[in-house]
Amino acid sequence: MPSEMTQGEQMMQPIIRRRGLLKAGAALALAPSAVRAQAKIAPPNIIKAGALVMSINPTLPPLQYVNDKGELQGMRVELANACARKLGLTPEYIRTEFATMIPGLAAKRWDMINTGIFFTEERSKLMYMVPYEQAAISFLAAKGNPLGLKTIDDLAGKRISVELGGIEEKRTREVADIIAKKGLKPVTVMTFNNFGEAFQALRAGQSDAATCIDATAMYQQQHSDFTRAISGVFPQTACFAFANKTLALAVVDALNELKKDGTYDKLLDQYGVLKIDSPTFAISGPGPA
Amino acid sequence: MKVWNWEGFWSYFTNLYLLEGALWTIGLTVSTLVLGGLIGLLLAVMRLSRHKALSYGAQTYIWIFRGTPLLVQLIIIYTGLPQLGLVRFTVVQSAIIGLALNEAAYLSEILRGGILSVARGQTEAARAMGLSPFQIFRLVVLPQALRVIIPPLGNSVNGLLKTTSIASVISMEEVLRRGQILMQQKFQILEVFVVVAIIYLAMTTCWDFVQRRIEAYYGKAYGATADRQLARDDH
Repeated sequence: MPSEMTQGEQMMQPIIRRRGLLKAGAALALAPSAVRAQAKIAPPNIIKAGALVMSINPTLPPLQYVNDKGELQGMRVELANACARKLGLTPEYIRTEFATMIPGLAAKRWDMINTGIFFTEERSKLMYMVPYEQAAISFLAAKGNPLGLKTIDDLAGKRISVELGGIEEKRTREVADIIAKKGLKPVTVMTFNNFGEAFQALRAGQSDAATCIDATAMYQQQHSDFTRAISGVFPQTACFAFANKTLALAVVDALNELKKDGTYDKLLDQYGVLKIDSPTFAISGPGPA
Repeated sequence: MKVWNWEGFWSYFTNLYLLEGALWTIGLTVSTLVLGGLIGLLLAVMRLSRHKALSYGAQTYIWIFRGTPLLVQLIIIYTGLPQLGLVRFTVVQSAIIGLALNEAAYLSEILRGGILSVARGQTEAARAMGLSPFQIFRLVVLPQALRVIIPPLGNSVNGLLKTTSIASVISMEEVLRRGQILMQQKFQILEVFVVVAIIYLAMTTCWDFVQRRIEAYYGKAYGATADRQLARDDH
């Protein structure tokens, strides 16, 4: 029986219907982002319109690392992404080593440092710091802890490898001072460009211990060939750091909202990370003069 | 953060920890030159040898050590070898060995070029006079080759003074790494980097001075206008 359409047109019918479905689907997908696109903050308070540019050093699983597809993962990535969503901004990450982050913030290369930067008096005078996490320092040893390191004093006469520039380096040197004052054998502090290389030195037996924070040390113990020998040393708060006060206050609001809706608590509990003591978030310290 | 801090600048300029780092840089450079120079000379002679095994052996060494980055070589020597259970070198040993092995590959090519620049007639005449191969090399070829070798060699030394900073990747505390450590105290990044740059400039300028003296010494036989043929003026 001859139909109204040719065979070719008949074949086209499902395709046209599918295209219609595709267009409807696209409209549905775009709709929420159209709502999200209302950024709560814009230049000059951020460097790039619609984006929250953050510096990160993704070498510390499970808090910030890169999976084998090269994608950023970790608790700090998830928390910062949630804050960016609350502000209507797209999170953008610049992967760099710690030593470049503070000067880069001043040079407006990024809006925010998201690498678990620890609160110190000196730093709080250079930028606006918002504490959101608590972490203590650990010392990793070779698998099985062959040297039997249990306390800080056991580190006397040992070689400790650590990343250059972070609080871990500062605390390692403080431990070296403590041991020197006690008159024990001096500690050798070896600085490397990043944690990966510091751990590699430990793996090769070129150092006796490597410094990092508790959560990273735990992860390394579970997934790698190291033992977390000493932990819980010098507990302190980790922060997001900003050069711009308006942005800092906006992120404080975002964090408070995340606390109210339970996202913050759930996320930190999931990763086993200590929350801050205070129930609300705020800028800590005076900020730049 | 302020624009420039003069007080900070002067404090870093007179910082002993930093100046000590400069001594380490010079020490690394000299050790690398001596060790690398000897290995390089051996490689150059092997490369020019009639025996294929020696020649190909040298070519392979040069190919590997010139073809891979110094940073990778240092990390392999420092952490790779112990991890494989082969041998463990300290930071300083690894730095010198890595730098020397790498530099030897480049130096051997400079030396080879210089040796080739000496006219064959010289070697033939020396052999006709009954000198042994070793004597020919030491008394006839090498002194004449040196005049051609010194400028590119001087260039290498200049580069080597700065290349030693790569050793910081295995935690060697030479002057640049010490500057980076100091930077983390007060975050006076620009001031520290300028001081480090001035220290490097002082070291390379000293070397320039030394190099000019060496060139004058080896260029004595050729007079003030070294590249003009003196024979032309005699007639």
